[in-house]
Amino acid sequence: MSRVGSSIVGTSVKRTDVIGKVTGTARYAGDVKLAGMLHGKMKRSTIAHANIRRIDASRALALPGVKAVLTHENVPRVLHYGAPHPRSISVTCDQYILDRKVRYWGEGVAAVAATSEEIAEEALDLIEVEYEPLPAVFTVEAAQAPGAPQIHETAYAGNVLFKPVVVTRGDVAQGFAEADLVIEGEYETGRPTPAYMEPNVCVCQWDNTGKLTVWVSTQAAFMVRGILAEVLGLPLTRVRVLVDHMGGGFGAKQDLFQHEFLCALLAKETRHPVRMEYTRGETFVGGRSRHPCKIWLKQGFKRDGTIVAREARTVFDSGAYGSHGPGVTIVGTTALTSLYRCENVRLEGRCVYTNAPIAGAFRGYGVVQTYYALDIQMDEAAERLGMDPVELKLKNAVREGDMAPSDHPLVGHGLEDCIRRGAAEVGWAALRQRPREQAGTLRRGWGMGCEMHGSSAYPGIKEQGNAIVKMNEDGTAVLLTGAAGLGTGAHTALAQIVAEELGLAFDAVSVVHGDTDIVPWDIGAFASHTTFMVGRAAQMAAAEVKRQLLQRAGEQLEVAAEDLEVRDGVIAVRGVAGRRITVRECMGPKLGIPAANLVGNGTYTPTKSYSFAAHFVEVQVDIATGQIDVLQVIPVHEVGKVVHPIAAAGQIEGGIQQGIGHTLTEDYVIDPATGRSLNAGFVDYKMPLSLDMPPIRTILLETAPDPGGPYGAKGIGEDPIIAIGPAIANAVHDAIGVRFRHFPITPEQVLAALKEKAGAAA
Amino acid sequence: MPVEIALTVNGVPVRAVVEPRQSLADFLREDLALTGTHLGCEHGACGACTVLVDGAAVRSCLVFAVQADGGEVVTVEGLAQGGALSPLQRAFRAHHALQCGFCTPGFLVAATALLAENPDPTADEVRAALSGQIFRCTGYVGIVEAVLAAAKAERA
Repeated sequence: MSRVGSSIVGTSVKRTDVIGKVTGTARYAGDVKLAGMLHGKMKRSTIAHANIRRIDASRALALPGVKAVLTHENVPRVLHYGAPHPRSISVTCDQYILDRKVRYWGEGVAAVAATSEEIAEEALDLIEVEYEPLPAVFTVEAAQAPGAPQIHETAYAGNVLFKPVVVTRGDVAQGFAEADLVIEGEYETGRPTPAYMEPNVCVCQWDNTGKLTVWVSTQAAFMVRGILAEVLGLPLTRVRVLVDHMGGGFGAKQDLFQHEFLCALLAKETRHPVRMEYTRGETFVGGRSRHPCKIWLKQGFKRDGTIVAREARTVFDSGAYGSHGPGVTIVGTTALTSLYRCENVRLEGRCVYTNAPIAGAFRGYGVVQTYYALDIQMDEAAERLGMDPVELKLKNAVREGDMAPSDHPLVGHGLEDCIRRGAAEVGWAALRQRPREQAGTLRRGWGMGCEMHGSSAYPGIKEQGNAIVKMNEDGTAVLLTGAAGLGTGAHTALAQIVAEELGLAFDAVSVVHGDTDIVPWDIGAFASHTTFMVGRAAQMAAAEVKRQLLQRAGEQLEVAAEDLEVRDGVIAVRGVAGRRITVRECMGPKLGIPAANLVGNGTYTPTKSYSFAAHFVEVQVDIATGQIDVLQVIPVHEVGKVVHPIAAAGQIEGGIQQGIGHTLTEDYVIDPATGRSLNAGFVDYKMPLSLDMPPIRTILLETAPDPGGPYGAKGIGEDPIIAIGPAIANAVHDAIGVRFRHFPITPEQVLAALKEKAGAAA
Repeated sequence: MPVEIALTVNGVPVRAVVEPRQSLADFLREDLALTGTHLGCEHGACGACTVLVDGAAVRSCLVFAVQADGGEVVTVEGLAQGGALSPLQRAFRAHHALQCGFCTPGFLVAATALLAENPDPTADEVRAALSGQIFRCTGYVGIVEAVLAAAKAERA
């Protein structure tokens, strides 16, 4: 049954993209096969920091089947942004397609196009590279130390990549002077990677008018178009970027990677289409990780739990290039102004280049790191104050009107609602009183963590959501959107919003996306903003078409348009039975007169809205092996308005999966002496799989709708990865009385900490 | 030296000449244009490339095309019968057991093998059977529900 009327938004309609995905017919960039297509491969550096003294491709070029080799000597030398929204303060302009210098182990130094992948790989070995080694630094301490090598000419002293962000509110010294309890701690987070299932891939083809077409797995097709055009010196009319389906990105596929430039240049050089796909290993090595982060955090509390001062210093490791380093540092650091109220705050955040792999945008964007520290410290404060952590967090939870990190007043009491609902759901008060296991080796513990996260990247970027809605002559409608189909079901949600606004059945709205020559400009699918911002633009475009439609219907029914309403595909005169016309009849051609051209354009420039969550977690720690298992998770999320309940829950469950991985097992490791990657593959990089994943009982709240979002809806993409980490760390403390202040928390560390604790007690 | 092989793929007889080093996955994707079989790691860890060979779920990135000579291969494209989605495909759709869909073909094929062997699995058995399939989007909840629902539908 097709769903109609006001039930569309808020209903789990069948997603539009699923048939193709379950039958194997959905087309991803890597499936594109063109006549005469060549295969491109990249040669990667075997040293973390060096000048290239000499590079010789002559033997590779002599290999039969090799059609072109690119090195820094024959590619355009244009300093460019590696990440989208160029020229915003969130990103850096610090990279070349291929440079005379390498800054991390595995950086691309040359590329080959050949008639087969095997020949291309063979050719890579024939390219001779002579390096002049430079001292390399792999930690933020080493990078900032006196005498450290300068990794980028554009950086500040100590490899600091932008002017540190400083936030001051109130008087911190005064706050600490009034405190009854002061806690300070140092926290450190690892280097998880997004590990999207589809490796980076693109196919490039030039036509005989000099136009480049790129099929690519990206979250930000218009950014790929813009940066390629800029670097290759082309007008935007000469670059077309196509993205049909893509196999995940989780933020990282906002960047342009080296292969996209090289693939376009190889295709130009050879006059053949070229396909370049990263191996899984390259997707680690040349991809983007989360920023490892060190956080020093100090808070002052009154005896009743009121927070009177908060001071923090954060240092984010950007790796070899800037990517989103400034944005992540700013968002992660300024997030510490909020979540738990505090009038006296002083924060300083910095981001540092090292010769480690590149860190970039990744779901949770700096906040994963800083709220891990904040929420663990809140749990510790509750313990020292003799309070229930839920009570302490409720007491300090941000509320309506409080100033958000973005300097906007918050809407609603979403965080408080999440904490209360979750505590009731798990019976928190009774859990606190439960008897504890004494026998055997298994210890159970409960913990909870909180988070809030903004929908849209404002104020880092002045965002803009766009949509075009057109009516067809049979009464159906088409939505044109630039928002990428990352896999989240965003296109379905956008179609729901258009159907709802236009009074059409869900099935009567189709979505056109993924072609930069056709759809309206979009900044990309990231920052939890597609449903919020593009959704609102789609609603605006649909409202405009509806206005035109009712105007036309009014002329046909000889009534004023204001007296008409449209529901379930029928336009009726309000309050007058029988005076009606279907949308199809209204639109259709009659007696040789063509159908009307009804088009609505929606542009929305939002500020920001915040979604909230509290995660309640039960863990089990085996004190004999150090193994931590997550037994159950009860995530409570406040999202304003749920557009598609099952898709929203799916986002939450997926974020929790990645968050469990961050906290317990996932860490992309490099050799501390050479910077060489040590676990760039799915065998050695351990993610939680089916047997590791606990039951998840998701609860969605709609208690703080944001007037800026469509029907009050806010973002959901990033939120679920944030609160799970501290919830697990707090649950581990509840289970075994050990306070971990880093992730991942490994079994070896659990055992060592238990031994130390036993030693201290003895 | 290229080798001639004969096999059936999704019920259709196929004869082909392949290099001995060519993986079954590359043969399916490149020579037969069956691009529903996805390659997520090419080192046998992620399971996205899982296909049935003589009824058994195998990782087509770790098997050579020549090893399938004489065999019956079923890919995700072969799961729908006569244009109708299989119970598992319907259940994956109904339970939103996917987001980006890149891993989905492997899950569907692995679950097909499971239900052929065990038509009435418990949730734990489903999780165990799918433990070699990496999923990164929605925490396995929808997948386990979908497989159990499909098992129930097939038994009905």
